[in-house]
Amino acid sequence: MPSPLEIVGARKVFATPEGGSMTALDGVSLKLASAEFVTLLGPSGCGKTTLLRTISGFETLDDGDVLIDGTAVTQMPAHRRPVNTVFQRYALFGHMSVGRNVGYALEIAGRDKREIDTRVGEMLDLVGMSGMQQRSIAQLSGGQQQRVALARALAGKPRLLLLDEPLSALDKNLRQKMQQELKALQRELGIGFIFVTHDQEEALTMSDRIAVLAHGRIQQIGTPGALYRTPANLFTADFLGESNLLPAEVSGTAARLRDGQGFAAARRGGPATLLLRPEALCLRAPNGPALRFDGTLRETFYTGTDHQVVLDTAGHGTLRALLRADGALPDIGAAMTLYADAQGLHLIDEVLP
Amino acid sequence: MSLERRKRGHLLGLLGAPTLFLLVFFFGPLLIMLVYAFLTPGLYGGVDWVFSHLNFGRILGWANTRYETFDPVYIAIFLRSLRLAGLTVLSSLLICYPAAFWISRMRPGLRAFAIFLVTLPFFVSLIVRLFAWVLILRPTGFLNQALMGAGLTSTPVEFLYTDFAVILGMTYVFIPFMFLPLYGAIEKLDMAQIEASFDLGATRWQTFRKVVLPATMPGIVGGSVITFIPALGNFIVPSVLGGAKVLMIGNLIEQQFLSARNWPFGSALAMLVMAAVLVLLLAQTRLARAKT
Repeated sequence: MPSPLEIVGARKVFATPEGGSMTALDGVSLKLASAEFVTLLGPSGCGKTTLLRTISGFETLDDGDVLIDGTAVTQMPAHRRPVNTVFQRYALFGHMSVGRNVGYALEIAGRDKREIDTRVGEMLDLVGMSGMQQRSIAQLSGGQQQRVALARALAGKPRLLLLDEPLSALDKNLRQKMQQELKALQRELGIGFIFVTHDQEEALTMSDRIAVLAHGRIQQIGTPGALYRTPANLFTADFLGESNLLPAEVSGTAARLRDGQGFAAARRGGPATLLLRPEALCLRAPNGPALRFDGTLRETFYTGTDHQVVLDTAGHGTLRALLRADGALPDIGAAMTLYADAQGLHLIDEVLP
Repeated sequence: MSLERRKRGHLLGLLGAPTLFLLVFFFGPLLIMLVYAFLTPGLYGGVDWVFSHLNFGRILGWANTRYETFDPVYIAIFLRSLRLAGLTVLSSLLICYPAAFWISRMRPGLRAFAIFLVTLPFFVSLIVRLFAWVLILRPTGFLNQALMGAGLTSTPVEFLYTDFAVILGMTYVFIPFMFLPLYGAIEKLDMAQIEASFDLGATRWQTFRKVVLPATMPGIVGGSVITFIPALGNFIVPSVLGGAKVLMIGNLIEQQFLSARNWPFGSALAMLVMAAVLVLLLAQTRLARAKT
């Protein structure tokens, strides 16, 4: 079976109003293994929206190819591509009812009225808006508009659904609910979802795989777990989740921090960077080899389940830690020691600037 | 309560002056004309205070006395006015719709300048502008010289004093009226909706018909109405560019008041124009209400 979506060496350069040029996509390749939920994650200006628009057909590539189900669609105009988009601000047709919005793709395709009505009903059931065909768009809340946009994009049975930061306009609770619903919907429909966001938490929650983009390139692509635990470079480590990054020196199978503490490393020699996630630090020394960080407690934030701790150390700068809320903490300004298990630590082959 | 009363007093103060102005200078004269339309014309101008329905009879068909007889030419002139005003609306719509699209997509500085250009004719006297058209259209004018110079015609084409000249002149005069409401609607158009339509499989034409046209319809209707109404009653353009050959209802009314000095008949004609406009406005509001 061909891949639902394959992008090969996509390049796109925009001319800027000042007369210069900006490379939005610099040789991006991406292949969906199956009907996956793939998130394009990156800061604004990283090229993620441009990449999405080349899939939907609103941007043409300067170089490279887009294949949908194994067929090149690079030169195909947007209206003939078997993909649909949920737009950032929904772009619902204000002069049409909810029902006509959802049935638009079928109306355009010239299906008969009974078929359209049935499909519109099914789609509204699917997004939890049964019986709202006659409502006008202006009567809907933000969350409902979101659902109508989703139903409209799915009604034409696209091979691939593209979502352009669709949740950014919703409040936090609704956003979390929609995240879960979207994930469930994708599994139920069995089609690929390409989701664009700059929100790393959103990406971690929903995706089968995440592609981290920066400067028009894919920095790393992988499962949320792999990206979080073993980021390939400093950008990914820093962009996904909180991180403590410490310079290290590798020689043979051993690595050393700047203060001389050693730990096992399965990497080639030379300078590198150690990634310590806040939750890898703890108050009690683990059994076996450990890294030890002495410092003074600068700040604590209580979150209910955890204490977020900021520790000023002499040799390693400021460390952030996430400690279980069951242990007692010293006073702010008092001395404090944190430990990290020295096994299974992740090293990044890049040097801190 | 006192706040409520103060608010009401405030509102009255604000609305009082314009209301009074409209009462004295709009409804007053209108009422006078309505009354005059049912009076008998005086022998030497002015009116005799005797009720008469024959002013309308002369236009609509039942007048058959020695002095007051029905003449179908009035209805013909009225119908021609409707036709010319309608064609004026159509031609200015065809010019302004693409222009408004084009201008709405310019970069901001250029856009403001383009809108200024559209309204620029307002700064020059209407009569001067219309006589400029006479110079262009007359048999020895620029247009005919150009056509003859290019060998397209050997004798001058009669442009002046035709329906064409009147429609051209009125289109030229009323373009800003059509443009501004259209521009207002087109500028508000959500480009994302157009993309959404393409995304859902619609071609450019389908997108225009199903998304762009309905979304800009308020501007089209608004622009058409405020172009049609003054075009219907216009008498300056037809008298300069239409001459004696293309008489419109406005010219007829003007003649009745100023030359023929038959005020009741002029009033009756004016009332018919008003009635036509009212029917149009009523239909428009009905249509707008049915939509929402």
